[in-house]
Amino acid sequence: MTRPDQDSPRDLAAAYALGALSRDEAARFEAYLATSAEARDEVSEYREVAALLALGGPESAPGRALRDRVLARAGVQSAPPQASAPRASGGRAREYGLWVALAASLLLVMGLGAAVLSTARQLAAAKQIAASAGQQLAARDATLDAILAPGVQLVQLTASGDPEPGIQLFWDRQRHRAIVNGYRLRPVAQGKAYQLWFIKDGKPVPSVTFKPAPDGRASVGTVPLPADGSISAAAVTVEPEAGSLQPTSPILLVGTLPKS
Amino acid sequence: MSDGAPHSVSAADFALVARAAAGDQRAIGPLYDRYGAVLYAVAYRIVGQAADAEEVVADAFAQAWRDAPRFDAGRGSVAGWLTMIARSRALDLVRARTRRDRITASAAADRPEHSPAMGDFRPDPAGALEHAERRREVRQALASLSAPQREAIELAYFEGLSQSEIAERLQEPLGTVKTRVRLGMQKLRECLRPFYFERGQ
Repeated sequence: MTRPDQDSPRDLAAAYALGALSRDEAARFEAYLATSAEARDEVSEYREVAALLALGGPESAPGRALRDRVLARAGVQSAPPQASAPRASGGRAREYGLWVALAASLLLVMGLGAAVLSTARQLAAAKQIAASAGQQLAARDATLDAILAPGVQLVQLTASGDPEPGIQLFWDRQRHRAIVNGYRLRPVAQGKAYQLWFIKDGKPVPSVTFKPAPDGRASVGTVPLPADGSISAAAVTVEPEAGSLQPTSPILLVGTLPKS
Repeated sequence: MSDGAPHSVSAADFALVARAAAGDQRAIGPLYDRYGAVLYAVAYRIVGQAADAEEVVADAFAQAWRDAPRFDAGRGSVAGWLTMIARSRALDLVRARTRRDRITASAAADRPEHSPAMGDFRPDPAGALEHAERRREVRQALASLSAPQREAIELAYFEGLSQSEIAERLQEPLGTVKTRVRLGMQKLRECLRPFYFERGQ
């Protein structure tokens, strides 16, 4: 009988990254991982090591046709081999630069602390919004551009008491607007709607109302931000569907905004 | 502040995964150009056969495309994530093949002496050079381990065995196997740190 309890959890990082722990050991180690940033760093470094291991084996290379197969499987039309380089057409080059800038801005957001959510959820939100923008490539690209433009920050509104529902605000300071993406929102009663509030100079300023779809999702494309003043937070309450001037019910979701 | 910096995900890789997550299929080509060769190496080493290795790589990218929205930069690099996917698909295939072979009683593994020619894959000389340099360093690092350390690590990574299974296979005490894995990986880490895929972004 193995007794993994006797190992110090730190000693297991290498074996975990190699995939050499039994299912039980791995589950226990993951519980420890959740509590230790140092251990997570260690695992991620050992994964880099593991990723290199295969290069110590016999020389091998895939056939030229594999690239096309990979692209076809991901539902892509065959692209020229140099697709990674920005093309000469102005639009593509601009988009590429934008995306690189977006990565930097997303990474920046990841370092913000309280208002930050995991990369995975940021990406999921982007995908969700992209899907909800309809099938037209142009419309989807425009929405993505808006979410992912340089300087746009992501603010997570969380529900008090219940971690499940959430709203993400893509916060575009330069263009004075935000994009709302809600998920797992509970249905509202007849005649009611969710309403967004900005907390400006300590006072709630009314913003848009919206209703979730049956799957709990809601998205609002362009929400103007209140001019002037310092906006410190955003919150959501349930209000009559025409909207209120002052909140009439408790705050359901709230999140603090990064300082400019 | 020591956290974050050493293993932060490269911005270019992250942007590609973000694009894939957002449904932009054009991100897959550049990801393949960056990591196709190493995913193939992982797959080939595990399945030991070119056609199956290619199937694994195609599977792995299809899964990466589906899983992109769940990619978590806090857990490691894009290269680490992709190779984990490829390893796991390859091990799945080997396990399925083992079951099938048992049924048909044809255990002969198809291990061709020659794989397709090098030079097909990387059009740019700089990339090929870097690839060759990495290969050399990894070989050297592996050669610096004791044979039992190397064996334990390879059984874990390429055959998907747990430490207990390795101990059983080798008829060695579990504690010994654990120590080999740990010390061997520590040594590899010291040798290979400058050659991680993350380097240089």
